[in-house]
Amino acid sequence: MSENSKQTHSNPIDCGSPEHRTHRRLFLQGSMASGIASVASFNALFSVPAIAQETKKQGKKCILLWLCGAPSQFETWDPKPGTITGGPFGAIGTSIPGVQISQLMPRCATIMHKLSVIRSMSTEPSEHFQGIDVLTRGEQPRPPFTRPILGSVVAQQLGQLDSPVPQFILLDPCPDGNEFRSFKAGNWAGWLGAQYGPVRSGGEYSIPDILRHESISQVDHEDREALRKFLSRKFENDQRSQAAAGYNAAFERVKGLMSCAPLFDLDKLPEADRQRYGPGAFAQHALQARHLIENGSTFVMVANGMPWDNHVFQHEMHQMLVPELDNILYQLVSDLEQRGLLQDTLVIAMGEFGRTPWLNEARGRDHYSKAWSLAMAGAGIRPGVLIGQTDPMGFEVTQDAIDNRRLFATIFKALGIDPKEQYDLPDLPTFHRVEGNVQPIEELLVG
Amino acid sequence: MAIVWLALGLVLPMAMAQVENPSDPSETIDTLIEAGYAKVSIDRNSLEWCTDEQWIRRLTIDLAGRIPTLQERKEFLDSPSPHKRLEWIDRLLQSEDYVEHFADTFDTLLMGRAPTPKINERRKHWRPYLENVFRQNRPWDQVAREILLARPESDDQAGAVWFLYERNDNAQAIAEAVAPAFFGIRIDCAQCHDHMIASEIHQQHYWGLVAFFNRSKNQKTEVGPRISESAIGGFSDFANIHGSSYPNVLTFYQSKTIDEARPEKDSKQEDLDELYQPSANPKEPRTPKFSRRQKFVEEILKGHPQLAPAFVNRVWAMLMGRGIVHPFDQMDSVHPPSHPELLERLSKDFIDSGYDIRRLVRRIAASRTYQLSSKPLAGVQDPSAFAWSIERPLTAEQLVRSMHVAMFQQVDHDLPLLSDLRDRIPEVLPETITTDISDALFLTNNSKMHQMLLAASKPEGLVSQLAQNADPKLAIEQMFLSALGRQPSQEEIETVLDFVQRRLSNKASVDPKGVWQNALWAVLTSAEFRFNH
Repeated sequence: MSENSKQTHSNPIDCGSPEHRTHRRLFLQGSMASGIASVASFNALFSVPAIAQETKKQGKKCILLWLCGAPSQFETWDPKPGTITGGPFGAIGTSIPGVQISQLMPRCATIMHKLSVIRSMSTEPSEHFQGIDVLTRGEQPRPPFTRPILGSVVAQQLGQLDSPVPQFILLDPCPDGNEFRSFKAGNWAGWLGAQYGPVRSGGEYSIPDILRHESISQVDHEDREALRKFLSRKFENDQRSQAAAGYNAAFERVKGLMSCAPLFDLDKLPEADRQRYGPGAFAQHALQARHLIENGSTFVMVANGMPWDNHVFQHEMHQMLVPELDNILYQLVSDLEQRGLLQDTLVIAMGEFGRTPWLNEARGRDHYSKAWSLAMAGAGIRPGVLIGQTDPMGFEVTQDAIDNRRLFATIFKALGIDPKEQYDLPDLPTFHRVEGNVQPIEELLVG
Repeated sequence: MAIVWLALGLVLPMAMAQVENPSDPSETIDTLIEAGYAKVSIDRNSLEWCTDEQWIRRLTIDLAGRIPTLQERKEFLDSPSPHKRLEWIDRLLQSEDYVEHFADTFDTLLMGRAPTPKINERRKHWRPYLENVFRQNRPWDQVAREILLARPESDDQAGAVWFLYERNDNAQAIAEAVAPAFFGIRIDCAQCHDHMIASEIHQQHYWGLVAFFNRSKNQKTEVGPRISESAIGGFSDFANIHGSSYPNVLTFYQSKTIDEARPEKDSKQEDLDELYQPSANPKEPRTPKFSRRQKFVEEILKGHPQLAPAFVNRVWAMLMGRGIVHPFDQMDSVHPPSHPELLERLSKDFIDSGYDIRRLVRRIAASRTYQLSSKPLAGVQDPSAFAWSIERPLTAEQLVRSMHVAMFQQVDHDLPLLSDLRDRIPEVLPETITTDISDALFLTNNSKMHQMLLAASKPEGLVSQLAQNADPKLAIEQMFLSALGRQPSQEEIETVLDFVQRRLSNKASVDPKGVWQNALWAVLTSAEFRFNH
């Protein structure tokens, strides 16, 4: 990155000019409806001056703290102190009388009335890859069709495609992570198309190659891209090539992304904020998520590889991981509230399932999808609500079992997206945003 | 145009098929693939075929790992031979480019991508061995045996030890690599329990496979890196998620269990000399009388029902864009083959031919199926029908070398951009084709990418030739032929001409090379260049 940062910075202009946009549209339509494209309309594409525009858009947004690997409900939201399944940590009272959470979460305990927790998640897959699939897409796979991931759906429904700020961002400093690694290599945007896939950042806290090479002028840079696009689109249309469509969609986003390079530079954030969130990569990226949401992004997913899969020394590992999460969630919800963003920003903290009530021989907790917990706050969610119950030792859900479909229906409803809407796409069987005509959890939703 | 297509596309493949022996597996491929069309209501008459110029680009990328040079292209197109496609397949299969490309691909598939220091280590030992496999067309079953036994009997086998050696005594990593590399299955998730979805893959297969390698240790000897093996130890129990535990006996998927005496629990085994073979060569590590690795190659690997299908399916995926089983390395009950009889017949032919790799590649490349047009058939959704040639992204190596060929009409296997692009585009045979925006950023802004383009301004480079051409129209044709292997359309000529002329005329001081460099960038980063189709 050091080499790149020496390069000149591209002007933060975007393709917001109506004139530019018209030509772009014309051009697109022209080459799609073959024969209509004329060279004359194409010529005007080169070097059209663009005007900077206000890019922030009012609307609902979402931050998903993706706790990949699956955290233990016992050490977070559903403690069972003093039982044989409860583990060594105690439970503490919260700002909601009578409600206790793990002692590892003292900060969230003070804002419990702003959070809402589901203690009765009950889902099917208990393997990571399948669990990640179902809890990020909302539905079991049905090959060869690939359902888009939550962030893609939200970006498509609520985002502003013309905005230079990426509408769906995955912040993940750890490129590894067992099954999550293979999942990340897969197709995220599914049948919505690659333009709704995430922009990925993390690790060095910035995006490689985001700055224009100093020896290419801004005009050349834009014009050669226009030429590239003309050739590449022609191939895409002539060949009916899906691979080329995805490839061209990625290039479509280069310009906008380059114009918002500073947003991905953590050094530009106040040091005091960085201190408050804490030193870890997950914490720093949660702060960056806030910053991106403030600046016009619609969906930011924060992950950190797959750290929660503690088959070995579960208590020791969770003793490190949970307090970090506790602080991050506390800072994030508090910040968003202070900035007046909480009512429009949904924060979700969840993994792909929970962990077993019992310990294995390595003093780890294994995968458990029958009864687990997650937390939400913000947009559309009624604060301070607890949904569901598990039995005294946490083996089974005893009240209000919630599956992935009802969870997704609730998330969509909270964001003002119709969960029952049918996808209107060519050559697809009938798919709905959420299948099975399920009901959202009304108690969780703001009236 | 339609008549030309008919002549080049339809008549030739059929003529070629007729000169082949009727028992030829290429014919088997076509018969079985075409039988499959009926099942999904595809009319054979609706199939479209690739042209000669499309075919030579496709084949050269697939077999030689790069686009053809202008000279190769011309030679092929001008050839009057009715069997020229088959002749060209054979010519490329004998080339060093084939050796390099297949060694690249199998290095990545068997060992994974790695940082440069590790790649350099591989170059000393593993890479020459792998190249020899393809140069000498060594039988795959013997290669598998040499790699997994890792007791080289001659100098030219020495590099085979590197498959185990690089994994540094980590028997689990070895097992997790052996299963997809030689048996086409993934067993990683059977570590903690029987495979939840592919129920035929058991936890005992995972720990059994680990046990075959858990007495092995890296050893530096004066004859080079070696893998020693202890005669004792390596017994343990594995626990399943229900808390029961089982001994890690020597067994594997679709195999028998090898008898081995297990010591009493908590008893001490002594590492006695008598447990080892009398040493034939004191420089080599000693060999236990009961060698788990030897048992593995002789009683598990040899004749294993997955050994041939796994290889066949992988080569099919390399040439056809997806496996008969897809993904190619998950050949389990969850992923049934699209054409089971074809997989079986090709596997049998592979075994009967003595695991002849070139023959297999040749047969697939010579099939009519390989010569389909890459345009998807309207109304057909399922690519596993193989009713068109499935487009596939160039690997990092194919992409960089193809850029180099386009710019210099020369083949160079070792280019500076290679290591960066390997990091950026690590995939080989991806399950689904996706382009990350960071790939687009790399191709747009990366400084090494920029330097590669700059190099084409050297006197022998394409940019410099384009800039010197007095007729920009001819220059545009040259650019398209060099990079895309075809003539530009009228619309393309006019568009590029406009791009070039505006810039050349507007500013007196403008450097023509800079203008052509930008035009070439647009061609080299177009989707048409990025994919094999």
